This record gives sequence, structure tokens and C-alpha cells, in this order.
Amino acid sequence: MANIATFERGTSQLLMGNEAIARGALEAGVGFAAAYPGNPSSEIIGSLADVAKDAGIYVEWSINEKVALEAASAAAFSGVRSIVAMKHNGLNVALDYLMGLALTGTRAGIVLVTCDDPGALSSTEEEDSRIVAKWGCLPLLEPGTFQEEKDMTRWAYELSEELKSVVLVRGVTRTSHARGDVEIGERVPPARQSKFEPTNPLEFTCVPAPFKHLVANQKMDKARQIFEDSPFNWYHGPEKPDLLIVTCGSGWFYSLEAVKALDLEKSVGILKLGTTWPLPEKLVREHLSRAEEVLVVEEIDPFLEGNLKELVGEDPSLVGPVKFYGKRSGHIPIAGEINPDIVTAALARILDIEHRPVQPQYSQKALALTAQFTHQRMVGFCAGCPHRATFWSIKNAIKLDGRDGFVSGDIGCYSLAVGPAGYWQIKTMQSMGSGTGMACGFGKLAEFGMTQPVISVCGDSTFFHATIPAIISGIYNRANFTLLVLDNSATAMTGFQPHPGTGRSATGEPAPAVDIPTLCRALGVRVEETDPFDIKGTTDKLLDLMQDEGGVRVMIVKRECALVRARREKPAYKMRIDVERCLGESCGCSRLCSRVFQCPALLWDEERGVAGIDEVLCAGCGVCADVCPAGAIIRETA
Amino acid sequence: MSPEVKGCPQLRAEVIDRGLCALCGACTGMCPYLVAYRGRIVTVDDCTVEQGRCYAFCPRTATDLDAASDAVFAVPFDASPIGRAGEVLIARAARESVRSQAQYGGSVSALIAFALERGIIDSAVLTRSDASMLPAGALVRDPDDVQSHAGSNYAAAPTLAAFNREAGREDVRSVGVVATPCQALALAKMRASPLENRNNVEKLSLVVGLFCTWALDYSEFAPFLAEKAPLDRISKFDIPPPPANVFQVITDSATISIPLDEVRRFIRPSCNVCLDMTAEFADVSVGAAEGIAGWNTLIVRSERGRELVEAARAAGVIETDALPDESLSHLRSASLGKRRRALANIRQLSGSDDDLLCLELSAEMRRRLLDD
Repeated sequence: MANIATFERGTSQLLMGNEAIARGALEAGVGFAAAYPGNPSSEIIGSLADVAKDAGIYVEWSINEKVALEAASAAAFSGVRSIVAMKHNGLNVALDYLMGLALTGTRAGIVLVTCDDPGALSSTEEEDSRIVAKWGCLPLLEPGTFQEEKDMTRWAYELSEELKSVVLVRGVTRTSHARGDVEIGERVPPARQSKFEPTNPLEFTCVPAPFKHLVANQKMDKARQIFEDSPFNWYHGPEKPDLLIVTCGSGWFYSLEAVKALDLEKSVGILKLGTTWPLPEKLVREHLSRAEEVLVVEEIDPFLEGNLKELVGEDPSLVGPVKFYGKRSGHIPIAGEINPDIVTAALARILDIEHRPVQPQYSQKALALTAQFTHQRMVGFCAGCPHRATFWSIKNAIKLDGRDGFVSGDIGCYSLAVGPAGYWQIKTMQSMGSGTGMACGFGKLAEFGMTQPVISVCGDSTFFHATIPAIISGIYNRANFTLLVLDNSATAMTGFQPHPGTGRSATGEPAPAVDIPTLCRALGVRVEETDPFDIKGTTDKLLDLMQDEGGVRVMIVKRECALVRARREKPAYKMRIDVERCLGESCGCSRLCSRVFQCPALLWDEERGVAGIDEVLCAGCGVCADVCPAGAIIRETA
Repeated sequence: MSPEVKGCPQLRAEVIDRGLCALCGACTGMCPYLVAYRGRIVTVDDCTVEQGRCYAFCPRTATDLDAASDAVFAVPFDASPIGRAGEVLIARAARESVRSQAQYGGSVSALIAFALERGIIDSAVLTRSDASMLPAGALVRDPDDVQSHAGSNYAAAPTLAAFNREAGREDVRSVGVVATPCQALALAKMRASPLENRNNVEKLSLVVGLFCTWALDYSEFAPFLAEKAPLDRISKFDIPPPPANVFQVITDSATISIPLDEVRRFIRPSCNVCLDMTAEFADVSVGAAEGIAGWNTLIVRSERGRELVEAARAAGVIETDALPDESLSHLRSASLGKRRRALANIRQLSGSDDDLLCLELSAEMRRRLLDD
């Protein structure tokens, strides 16, 4: 990976959007960076962690987004420029503190990057973060090009210090993860004179709230003035367009491509806004008054669209008659990700242009073509993943117990157990730690007649992030449930970042490791530990815990993520099939391994009617040997 | 025409989900899908095999009684109330130490230990309870271990799981099973099964049947019992002869009497549809000798059974005597009574005189079963 700290000024570099944001922070002299990983934001703090030593900055993975924002704002209050990055769900976690910070303000610059995930490509939900800017009186920037990712981030620090306010920078998956050329500027070392010295006793508090609320609104007035002349807002198109597109962020490239595709550059104009809250009202009104029809192109919610309408509604005479198209009119879909085709179709519809979109069968054809070169498999756990073995045991234990026990889950790789990969075992899945919070409720329903055993699952990173309060609440309120901590020793789904349990810091230094079993035992609950690859032992322990009914019980199911292990060592076993023993589809097996257990490395030879091992995919975990009822899967020490 | 053999989903729908499962264990121990767990047959995953041994062996799926009898005795089914019977006599273990640990006369323990000693069998599938009074099958190879499996638990036990699991072992060549009526029928169906894989039933050399009027449902009975006495302190159960009408729980410190009607609530519904009181498909069937304390009734049914009883008597392992005529006629009427009640219950369950659920008995067979 590129070292974003050592790029030379004036060179042009191909950077991922998230790297450009990180480089922008380095060029602003950022000193303190904190985050909890979450896609599509993870590479921002990740790439800063990689260069922390070179750049002389401090970088941490915090326990959750709220703590990350709190820690980073402490640095900013004390004179050190700081950055925090998170995904939209993370912003929800940080929101309680963010609203207080919004009223408090800051001294040194602090930038909060929030990366939304339209279409929920790597999320459990799609959510538009921008509403928070309006809610909290916070300036909002939306970069539209890779260069802007860097330059707007750098500028955000000046803005933050001028307004004495945290500044939001909003990205989306495509702007975060796509790559483009970025011209590099000067990197500035961080300030080294850090001191916490309030000028008045209440400076770094949010009280008195009405006064600070007033001040926050005054900051918005000032921001509005600054944004009127911002170079990040521009207009592209004819003097008086037939149709005006107003867009921001990823919508800029999509709109430009659509206008060019339909050859409309002489009749359609594009107002691209980089500062989307507060709106530069004069600039916007001026452009709206030149057009009678406006199409708003943006990702997720009609945030910009609503604000434009609000602005027009304040005094329609300043703008004149204007008709809006966008998400409210149905020309841009209200849900899911947008793309150039969607914008092109919207333009064609509004302007009544004959438009032959991409062939309707295009995606099927593309799929058929690429499928020739790929292995057909379902979305699921990797070969050798400890979670598959864990959910196998959970499934079996629930079946054997026979009281319709169920699993409430939360966010992590193991969330895939809502589907076939985990045998459909997870029945609720909302937010970090939610499975255990819900178990606190499910586990109190006995007096209303519920007789089902309650199981919750969380990952090791999720345990620290949001599960600990739920456990304690369950203990205190005598809720009856079994929590399984699926400890794979990594924040695997976001890219194997370390966490408080791993004994390693964000920058690769040794760190104190918080031991999950010890912590749970200290809470006074029954704690069991198991290796998920011991299917029988895990099933038996879980059955025993389910039947214990003594309040909160915890089982740590510990086995390192197969991908993390594979980076370090060779597979433990070489697996092969004894075809003489393999029962295949006959009575006694009914193809248990490839049909039910479904590790992607287990194959089915239809012609010969026997199982097979995909030696490329097989991680050599050996679990299938214990699953096979005929002893036909042989585990040989590799 | 032999009845149709179906698969696991049909076993589930026709037997288990209807509450007709006897928990004999015949469908378990052969695959990963059906597992006996604490008094229930659990379907862990869905099996797609269209003709399963589970369905073929189950004593509650459609059964060709003539074919089952032919597989065991090489003659058609004998529909007389106590089934095919040669000599009917009373017996007891010769050694007092065997009798004292047994439910009644100790004949079963004595016969099995003798068969193991003589090499008539090299392994025996017996039933034993764990500390929580959960009964399960176990393979016993040492005659000295037979004694610790004596005594009745009164809860249905999936004993045949042990046969299914262990019979495939290379060092197991000749197996004896102590079986309740449903289990003896399942073993007969195994012998008569049209499926190619009959699960090593050719190694089955001896079936000692147990008289049975009903068995309890462990999953429901155990919590009830635990309220009366700590389960790990219970050493024996007994139902003393009428008019006591109690179920006795004997612990290391006390004998607790529970009204029999309270215990009857936990009888497996499947027992109400069972036609067989005397284990008609066994080589020799054993039960309490009513009115003759400390003795068993023995029904010798097959040539194998006859040879075993005679050899054991000759070796002085068991003592025998004639069964009084009055007792025999009482046994026959009790056995016929169970058949009649079962058929009435089946008709009530199906809601039709003609629909005997999975029994599928011909009119001719029904007549033979009831008209005596």
C-alpha cells in the first residue's frame, strides 16, 4: 500500500478516496486520529495508522465511535488537530456526544468524516448521515472528486478553527473506495504545544445550552457567508439552462456522465455543491432563478432536495416558478445506490428524450460471462471459518434442547448466520451489541409465558464495542439468557483491525490485552470457554448452559479467524475423502457434508456419488472430519 | 404386498409428530439426522433419502406382521393373545444375589449373563439409567457387567440406538438384545426389511423380550419425579401388586409412594396404541409372575429361546416350575385386553373404524387379532 506520508509535494498519485482524505488531514497538520472500524470508512484511519510513525502522529482504534470522537475532541480542545472517521451506523453511536460537542465547539480543528453506504453494500442498513448537520448546526462538506477529498479535508481544519466547530465531511462507498489522481500538497507536522486551558470555566461544556444553541446558529450564519465564495461549489453548463441539475458528492460524476451521454451540455447545467449545509443561499438562489426545472441528484435521502425547496419556500419571489424533480418525484429512486444510468434515465424522462438505456439483459449477460470464470457459491463463511462450526453446534444444541430456543445477534462476520451459511440461526440483527440487549428483554418474558431458551451472540470486537453494558444490565435485572462471545481475535469484517482484546495497538505496538473471560468472571456470571472446532464439546456445553437457567451465562467460543491465521501459518491438516467409506446420498448420510454442513471447500462429485475436497479452498481446519457420519473424511497432519 | 418404505420426513409426519413414537431407538444411531435426546427423537437436519431404514424399522409404521413373524420364526404371525408360544412357565435366577437386584425373579439377567458366558452371544444390548434416571442402551460384553443393568426404569428407552451404533463393529459378531415389545417388533422389522442395508441385523442372535403394559415419557416424568426425590438418589422403582395402586420410588434412605394415577399421566401416548404386551417377536419373553412373588413368567417362543432356557436350566443358572393354568388364562386375557384397548384408541385417534393409521392391518388380520 502507498505510504501517504512520504509522497512528494507536486506529484500526482493514484489514491483511494479514503487515502485522499487521510492525506488531506496530514497536509492540515493533523496530530490525533481515532476511529472504530466500519466500512466504507475503515481505510481513513487505517492508512493513517500505517504511517503514524513516519508522520509523527497518534492513531488509535477506539472501543467504539463515541469514545473515538470524545478522545479526538479532547485533543482538539487541547490544541491538537484531530480526525475521526466512521460509517453511518457509527455516527449513531457517537451521536449522543456529537450533539454536546456541537454546542460546545472546539479550539483546534476537528473533522468528523462519515461514510454512508448507499445500497448497504457492506452494511446492514442504508442511512443518510447528513441530517445530523442540520440537526446539530454543523457545517457539512461533500467532496465530489478525488482531489476534493484531499483538498476539502485540508480546508475543513481552517473552517473548523474559524467557526470553532467540528466539521462534517460526508463520503459514500464509491467516493471512499474508488481511486483517482490526486495532486499532492505540502505535509505539515502536527502542533507540539498541547495544553488544556479553558478561557472561561464553561468553554468546553455545552452549558448554558440556550446560549450555546444561539451561538451554534450564529456559526451557521458565518458558515453560510464563507460558503458563498467556496471554490468547492461550481456551475458547469449554459448561461440559461433548460434544466438545472443540483448535485453533490458522487452525484457530480454521475450527472456529468449522463449529460454527456445524452449530448445535453448546451441545454442542461449542473450546479455542483461541495458545501451542502448550511447552503450558500445567494449562490443557490441565483442558479435556481435561471432555470424553471430542477433535477436534484444525490445519494440516499432527499436531503439537498428538501433544503432547496425550503430555501425557495422562504421567499418564492426571489427565485420565480421552479419545478423540482428528484427522489420525491420518483425520478431518482428513494432507496438503493444511484449510478449514471439512473441519472440518464431521469434526464430522458424529464426532457422527453428518446433514450435507449443499457440493454435490459446486460446485467444477466455480464453475470453469465463472468460466472464462467468463478466458483459458484453462496454468500457465506470462508472455508475454515470458526463461525461455521459454532453455528453448527448452536443449531444442533437448539434442536436437541427442543424448546424452540433462538439466537438474537448483532453485527459482524457472524451476521451471515441470518442466512444459510449459519443455518439461519440468527433471528434478530440490528446494531452493534443489539443481540444481547434484546436478550435482556427476551430473558425476562418467562412471567408472560415464554419458555424458549434465549441465546445471544456477539463477536469479540462487538463485545467491547457495545455488549458490555447489555451484559451488566442483564445481570442486574436477572434476565435469563446465554451469551456466546464468538472470539475470532480480530475485527474481521472490516479488515482485521486489532481491538482491546488482541494485545496489539492500531500502529502495531504491543498493547495491554483485556481478557474477555476474566472480565466476565469478574461480573460474577457463569463463564465457560470452548473451542468451536470441538463440535461435540461446544454443543454439550451450550446445552448445559441453556438448561442452567441461572440468569446470565457466558460462553467464550474462541478460535482465530481463518484468514488471519492463514497469513501466518500453513493449514493444520490436509483433508482427503476415503471414497470407499463415503456413503454419499445413501441412507445414513444423505450428503451431510456438502448439502447440510456446506463448507465451500466440500465438493460433491455427482457422477461418482462421492464427496470431494477443493484443495485450493480448503483451509485444513479438519472440522468436516467430525461432521462426517461415516468417517470418510480423513484428516492428515499437513 | 409389503408396506411402502418411506423416508425421514414421513416418519416425522406419520409417527413422531402424531405422538405415536414409542422411543424404541430403532430409527437412531444410524445417521446424523435422527437422534434420541432426553426422551425425544430429534430431527437435527432434513434428510432427503427417499427410503430410509428409520422408516422401515419403526414399529409404528405400517407393518406386515406375517413377514415380521416369518423373519423371526419362519412361520406366519400367530395371532393368539400371547403370540407364538411354546412352553410357558415360571422361572427365577438360581442365585439370590441376582434376584435381589432384579425387578422380579432375575431371569433376564441370569439368561443374558449365561448366554455371554457360553458364547451364545458375544455382546448384549441392555438398558441402564444415568444419574438423572435417563435410560439409554449400552453394549455389554462382560457377563459380570450384566447385573448393573438389571431392574426396570419404567421410562421408555431408545435402547436400539446402541444396537444400531455398535452392531457394525468388527469385534461384535453375535448380539443379544433385551427388548420391550416395540423394540422386539422393530428388530423383527429389521430382519424383514426389504432394504438392502439391514444394519447388521444378521448379527442379532437372541432377543429376550420384556412384558410391558406402558412406558413413561422421560422428558415429562423426570421433572415431576425430581420434585419427589433427588434423581441421583433413586435406586429402584416398583409397582407392587394390586390393590396397592401406587408407584414406589426407592431411594437410599426412603420409599416414596406416588398414587399410580398421578404417574399414569406420563405414559407415552404411543403406548396406548401398542397391541403387544408380551413381546411377541422375542425368542423368549419374560415378565412378572402375577401372584407368585420373586418369580418370572417365561414364554418360550423360538427354537433359539428353547435351547437357551434349557441350557440355563441344565447349568443351574435358572430354576423353573410350571405356570398355574389360572395364571396363564389371566395372562392371555390381560394381553388380549391391551390389544383391544389399543385398537379402540387407534380408531379414536383416526376418527374412523377403518383407518388404523400406520398399522394398515388387513381385515383378516384384525379379525385374527381380536377374535380368540
